[in-house]
Amino acid sequence: MDENVKTAEREVTLERLREIDDDLRLPAVPEQVSYPIETLIPEARTQTPAVGQRASRPDGRLHGLGQTKYIDDLSFPGMIHAKIKRAGISKARVKNIDVSEAEKMPGVMATLVGSEIPVNSFGPSYQDQPVMVNGTVFHAGDPVAAVAATTEQLALDALDKIKIDYEPLEAVYDPIEAMKDNAPQVHEGESNIYSSKVIQKGDVEQGFEESHRIYENTFSTQMVEHVPMEPHASIADWDGNGRVTLHSSLGRITLGRADIARTLNMPINRIRIIATVVGGNFGGKNEITTEPILALLSKKTGRPVKGVYTREDEFMSSTTRHPFIMDYKTGMSKDGKILARKVRLVCDGGAYCSWSETTLGKACILSAGPYNIENLYVEAYAVYTNKTMTGAMRGFGAPQVCFAYESQMDDMAHDLGIDPLDIRRMNAFHEGSASPTGQVLESVVVRDSLEMAAERFGWQDWKK
Amino acid sequence: MDVKLTINGEEKSASVPPETTLLRLLREEFNLTGAKIGCDVGDCGACTVIVDGIATNSCLMLAGQVQGRSIETIEGLANMDDYHPLQKNFEDLGSLQCGFCGPGIILSAKQLLDDNPDPNKEEIQDALAGNLCRCTGYTKIVEAVADAAREMRGNRKAA
Amino acid sequence: MKQKGKGIGCMWYPIGFTVAANPSAATVKVNEDGTATLLTGTVETGQGSLTVLGQIAAEELGISTDDVHVVSADTDTTPMDTGAIASRTTYVTGNAIKLAAEKAKEILFEVAAPMLNVKPSQLEAVDRKVQVKGFPQRNLPISEVALQAQVVQGRPSIGSASFNPPTVDMDPETGQGKPFSTYVYATQIAEVEVDDETGQVDVLYMSAAHDCGTAINPMLVEGQIQGGISMGVGFALQEEILFDEKGVQINPNLTNYIMPTSLDMPEIDVDIVENFDPTGPFGAKGVGEPTAVPTAAAICNAIFDAVGVRVTSLPATAEKVLKLIKEKRANENKQLAPAE
Repeated sequence: MDENVKTAEREVTLERLREIDDDLRLPAVPEQVSYPIETLIPEARTQTPAVGQRASRPDGRLHGLGQTKYIDDLSFPGMIHAKIKRAGISKARVKNIDVSEAEKMPGVMATLVGSEIPVNSFGPSYQDQPVMVNGTVFHAGDPVAAVAATTEQLALDALDKIKIDYEPLEAVYDPIEAMKDNAPQVHEGESNIYSSKVIQKGDVEQGFEESHRIYENTFSTQMVEHVPMEPHASIADWDGNGRVTLHSSLGRITLGRADIARTLNMPINRIRIIATVVGGNFGGKNEITTEPILALLSKKTGRPVKGVYTREDEFMSSTTRHPFIMDYKTGMSKDGKILARKVRLVCDGGAYCSWSETTLGKACILSAGPYNIENLYVEAYAVYTNKTMTGAMRGFGAPQVCFAYESQMDDMAHDLGIDPLDIRRMNAFHEGSASPTGQVLESVVVRDSLEMAAERFGWQDWKK
Repeated sequence: MDVKLTINGEEKSASVPPETTLLRLLREEFNLTGAKIGCDVGDCGACTVIVDGIATNSCLMLAGQVQGRSIETIEGLANMDDYHPLQKNFEDLGSLQCGFCGPGIILSAKQLLDDNPDPNKEEIQDALAGNLCRCTGYTKIVEAVADAAREMRGNRKAA
Repeated sequence: MKQKGKGIGCMWYPIGFTVAANPSAATVKVNEDGTATLLTGTVETGQGSLTVLGQIAAEELGISTDDVHVVSADTDTTPMDTGAIASRTTYVTGNAIKLAAEKAKEILFEVAAPMLNVKPSQLEAVDRKVQVKGFPQRNLPISEVALQAQVVQGRPSIGSASFNPPTVDMDPETGQGKPFSTYVYATQIAEVEVDDETGQVDVLYMSAAHDCGTAINPMLVEGQIQGGISMGVGFALQEEILFDEKGVQINPNLTNYIMPTSLDMPEIDVDIVENFDPTGPFGAKGVGEPTAVPTAAAICNAIFDAVGVRVTSLPATAEKVLKLIKEKRANENKQLAPAE
């Protein structure tokens, strides 16, 4: 060091800095992001053979550390936020939409309405669902307009400034009412019944003739929501080559990509969908929701756009479980064998088809229960109503029909004086049984599961 | 509005609009995304953090209310040497599935174990009653909290 | 007064899509040190599928779960997958992965065979070794074979494959056909306590016996069953979306949409039914959805056993159950009255 240069003692501590400036803005120290240095690998993960190991999950460790990045935890430079305005009315014609007040607000970067979407329809079976309302509202959660703004709060405030004129139209809410000939039509067409399925095997009427007793019951189930803890979330971003990347909480990215290609009229190889970890799906995140909207807002503004559902959006605008109305007529022999069964299922299909066809098909096949029934007739209908759209939810109709056939089974057991376990043992599928669709079943363990559960429960010795 | 507070033992400060909640403060200002936005109105518990020793829904507190207070988040539980026994036991038992409720549940459990080192099953369930989980059915979570409690009692005896 | 009751719910459930094609594709790459990378288009939504799929690939290659790194959920880099739906991932994506790993393994065997002086068909991959069937003393570490393959022979060990369950379409008038390749079966038995003065139903205990073929990871199967039961309890007793007369939801929030908390869960005993399905990867089928299916049935049957009332519409809220109890008492009194 040059002797002619005089330096000072550098001992500026944090306390000293505070003395200098009370309002000192302390610098944000970057958070520690990876630890501990020496990681312990759980034994079950290092054992061979791998099948049958109680191997812990590497993502489980990250969840516990709080390191898992869900879509809403991601942010990109220049990212803005989008929110969606819901119709709030269950059936209406949109006379006009005025977004001018919203667009004037400082911080609002773009708006979007249904007419700006290149191909405004999608759906796994029928493409009857618009990405955004296309002149007619079919349920109260229908997306009518979207806003992208620099903060979420600004986007929400801007939604209030969007003025929409609705002409209310006649709506129908009950599926049985909707099936009638003179019911208001939910969509263009002759009937609100948009899908029906039949399964028949043997001769039900003959079976009823031979029955000792016939039981008729009607059961119904309610609309429920998946309630994933993570609301739907997506981020859309474009590059200079016209490729769009979507980080999305979708459970089916191949299908999502195909739907984006369709709705935005783009070739598939220009679309990239990345899903990180999804915070719960249960069937509700199996189709696109806001992705095309965010992609178009991102295109308009030249910035990444993030859109996250509010919890209210989750209930009103994402798919739900089909309410079912189920009529069961079963003919029993005196000693408890099922001789014939006739089932009618009416499935409240909500405003759009979504996964109703699949649900109907599955419910139809499963509706007879895991029991040997030679004479069977099942008819099932999916009906449009002006309520929240119903879609895929854990079970696709199975929990509903199981509630029906198992409830009737116990009623019949009680009436015939047979123990509920015995009546099931008598009728359950075995290896080689024929299913309602005539399929020869293999690897059948219904009876084993009955015995195991009963033994574990202590069925025989259980006292009230 | 300026706010100064301690997070995981470190002093931090920020300048934010007055309506900012503690949840947004943590996530957006400090990039501590462990606390999640599940409902933003205090129903689900996914935003739970520990404020001055009490597990709290951070979406229901304003940034101004935490001036000078001490916050513990999920990011502060582990250190360079080891994970927290709760985090270890949750991992070993496979207690978390999608993991979204995880940080909130672990912090609610931490407050329980800090106050009551030997809780029974009902006390554990009660402490977690404000944290919703859709994936796991809570069973393995309750088991893991009990295991962690046992481990922590053992550690204290050894220490 | 509190009354106890027991009830059975028994069910069957299919794996995969109804008739329609639902393929999955996968790629397995063995690295030059004997660890591997798996590329799959499926998405981890919390059920632990990536761990299970990694175990399937590891089993085929004879290495451990931790030796396989799973990459997923990017349409640019991972092969197509129909998705995490219809409980199909373990079965369909698992089969695709097993086939892909077999192809990667074939390359390793073709490289190892001359090194061990046998034919490739005589080899098997077990415990991180490539060894001769029936004479395991003659073996090579898989790391050595993989290195030889990639670096010396110029044949990196990589395999890609796809799988779609075989089905037969259903007749449009009678529905006869083979819509699914395989099904799973389960029984859940519930013990409930009903307060006959308030109608409140508490589920005290459930025993669940589920078939999932081979349980690739029993810990994750238990997790699915417990989670499914919690959804079933909510479906049976609490959850309902309510609409006003104009078709607008009244309770679109978690304050008024009641769902199970840790206080609502019963004690659960889980049993996995021993089974092996030859059409599934190492005998596995699936378990994700079946777990939520029989719960409501078991609970409602238990309510019937406890207080003799039949709930015919879900959810079985306290108000509903109490109303049914009162109706039953009124009927019983009416029947008694003429005798007086």
